[in-house]
Amino acid sequence: MNKSVERTPTDWNGAAMRRRIRRRYAAERRFRLLGLGAILVSAGFLAFLLVTMLGNGIGGFVSEDGGIDWNFLTGSDATDPAEVGIWGAFKGSLLTMIVTLALAFPIGVLSAVYLEEYARRNRWTDMIEVSINNLAAVPSIIFGLLGLAVFLNVMHLPRSAPLVGGLTLALMTMPVIVIAGRNAIKSVPPSIRDAALGVGASRIQVVFHHVLPLALPGILTGTIIGMARALGETAPLLMIGMRAFVATPPDGFDDPASVLPVQIFLWSDEVSRGFVEKTSAAIIVLLVFLLAMNGIAIYLRNKFERRW
Amino acid sequence: MSLAAIAMLIFGLAAAAWAAGRARACAFAGPGKARAHSLPAQHGWYVALWTAIPALLFLSAWSSVSGNLIYADVLASPEAASLPGFDMQRHAVLREAYALATGQSETAFHPQARTLAPVYERAVDYYGRIGLLVALLIAFAGGAWAFSRVSPHFRARTRVERLVMGLLLLASLIAVLTTLGIVLSLLFESLRFFSMVNPIEFLFGINWSPQMAIRPDQAGSSGAFGAVPLFWGTVFIGAIIAMIVAIPLGLMSAIYLTQYASPRLRAWMKPLLEVLAGVPTVVYGYFAALTVAPAVRDLGLSLGIPASTESALAAGLVMGIMIIPFVSSMADDSIAAVPQAMRDGSLAMGATTSETIHKVLVPAALPGVVGGVLLAVSRAIGETMIVVMAAGLAANLTANPFDSVTTVTTQIVQLLTGDQEFDSPKTLAAFALGLVLFLVTLALNIVALRVVKKYREAYE
Repeated sequence: MNKSVERTPTDWNGAAMRRRIRRRYAAERRFRLLGLGAILVSAGFLAFLLVTMLGNGIGGFVSEDGGIDWNFLTGSDATDPAEVGIWGAFKGSLLTMIVTLALAFPIGVLSAVYLEEYARRNRWTDMIEVSINNLAAVPSIIFGLLGLAVFLNVMHLPRSAPLVGGLTLALMTMPVIVIAGRNAIKSVPPSIRDAALGVGASRIQVVFHHVLPLALPGILTGTIIGMARALGETAPLLMIGMRAFVATPPDGFDDPASVLPVQIFLWSDEVSRGFVEKTSAAIIVLLVFLLAMNGIAIYLRNKFERRW
Repeated sequence: MSLAAIAMLIFGLAAAAWAAGRARACAFAGPGKARAHSLPAQHGWYVALWTAIPALLFLSAWSSVSGNLIYADVLASPEAASLPGFDMQRHAVLREAYALATGQSETAFHPQARTLAPVYERAVDYYGRIGLLVALLIAFAGGAWAFSRVSPHFRARTRVERLVMGLLLLASLIAVLTTLGIVLSLLFESLRFFSMVNPIEFLFGINWSPQMAIRPDQAGSSGAFGAVPLFWGTVFIGAIIAMIVAIPLGLMSAIYLTQYASPRLRAWMKPLLEVLAGVPTVVYGYFAALTVAPAVRDLGLSLGIPASTESALAAGLVMGIMIIPFVSSMADDSIAAVPQAMRDGSLAMGATTSETIHKVLVPAALPGVVGGVLLAVSRAIGETMIVVMAAGLAANLTANPFDSVTTVTTQIVQLLTGDQEFDSPKTLAAFALGLVLFLVTLALNIVALRVVKKYREAYE
């Protein structure tokens, strides 16, 4: 038992050891290249997608005589690909987003405030929290089914109207805003609250005069990201009948309307060759708006983000 | 006067009430006078809220009642006696008359609509006037009562704040109501479906052809609702093909970005992955159908396999790319959560970086990664537009990725678009599929969150 193990010191310069180290370093380099490759595949796919869309769609903005095709920018849906325009769908998207923002933002912010600042931890608030977290992960098409069953079949709101689309998307966007809002409120340090309480502010005043203004950039960032998601959403709107052929831009919240992503979907189903160009052009318009919204969100985050 | 206009009027009155209440409070507040309990603006809010809220509550109740009252009034009028008895046509005439009366349209298809339009107009006008009058009365009464209570000792702040708290609670209940609404509406419609179709057949049948015949004596009049091919197609595209693409790429991206990349590369690549997550799914779907699917078909044909244009592979590949950012950001989080000491320990023992990643970081982060993958699967199987545009409609039970399969979400869209009768099993089947989808994604999310949470606790 007491026999000591005979071991020679490692011979780092021996041929076997050198070979072994070489092999290990080669494996290291291979692994590193593999990682770089994975990133490049993702980036390459994105680039390929954007280039394809640009290549196909840039012609959609150009009229036959080589100038800008104003009809495409100011017209609505039509049966002839040369006549179609994006304005009708764009206006529909705009009206839908107004409804979504008007509902989801106040409700989202108020519930974030309640959950983060006032709610006592009990079974009731646990239930609210669990349902908000689950709603954020429910597939969007389920919200479409909800909209169909409740807004159309029970409440008899008009089909394919921005009002119903906006309501449905608001239910979908609200959890995103709540989660972003709670994180933003959480990051405001307690000393701010204590100071305000110390000089005699009421609990409501503390939140509405001090905490919310400081949390606003974070809340806005989350809201813009949620709205960008809603702007690109198609499936729930198909469920509530927003796939009708609408040849005039909507004039109000209860007019039949189309929205940009649904218009893209409808045009992509057309067999006529000219629609490929128009579909890609519509995709470019949509992507420009989404990128702009995400850009604003990132800018806001970088400009106003504050480390306490 | 429309309800919206009345509501605007009430808001105007509330603004005036705010100013009045504040002015009255200002008169007794200020230096050298009695110490008031609340600030003038808080008194103003108290009066304004009493002006607006009861009146708006009345208005919302009135808006749901007045439609029926107008309808009953029009039907009771002598002009309505000549209406057709048949329900659909009667409804159409009334709707046209309403459109004429409110100026939404100029022409009417049914001649009777013209005679009914003035009746409608009178009724709308009459009930509109009643609504306006009562709403204004309530607004003035509420405002006056609140105004009379404004005094130095009145605790306006406490009352206003109690109301604000109620409002906050109400807002947070909307989420619960939405969840409840989803569960109830899906459950209710599914139960109606299962009263027509045996649930066992739905869950375990392997034959899916939801076409209902127009005439009952037609051949194959009862559609078949065995959903197994749909479930298989969903799992095949969303959980197998997409994950084969997304897990290695997402995991390797996360590892590279956290362990190898220079801060500058990281600062560029992370937003790029976020852009990949922000591209709308309809764009991915169009790309899959336009570019990827023909390429996959050509690949299949060059390999000598009969390939469909709507192959499962094309939809799955693009869906996998879409999922990469989710997998990568979840893996990123869980690798970052592994204590630095474990990494340092491994490196100090002489392991290379890749050996540390293989033997220490990934095993330690595995629960978090698995949780992320489960979340990604739940997102993939609920994804709609890619499969609607790139996957097929044929309910095949096949494991050949070049063949066409259909998914739950594709079928929901297919069943609910086009002409709808709300009581046919065809339409109701969409809700049953929706219920299954909801329950499966819910279960996946709960399991995933639990795995992630447990793993976080292990290192805290």
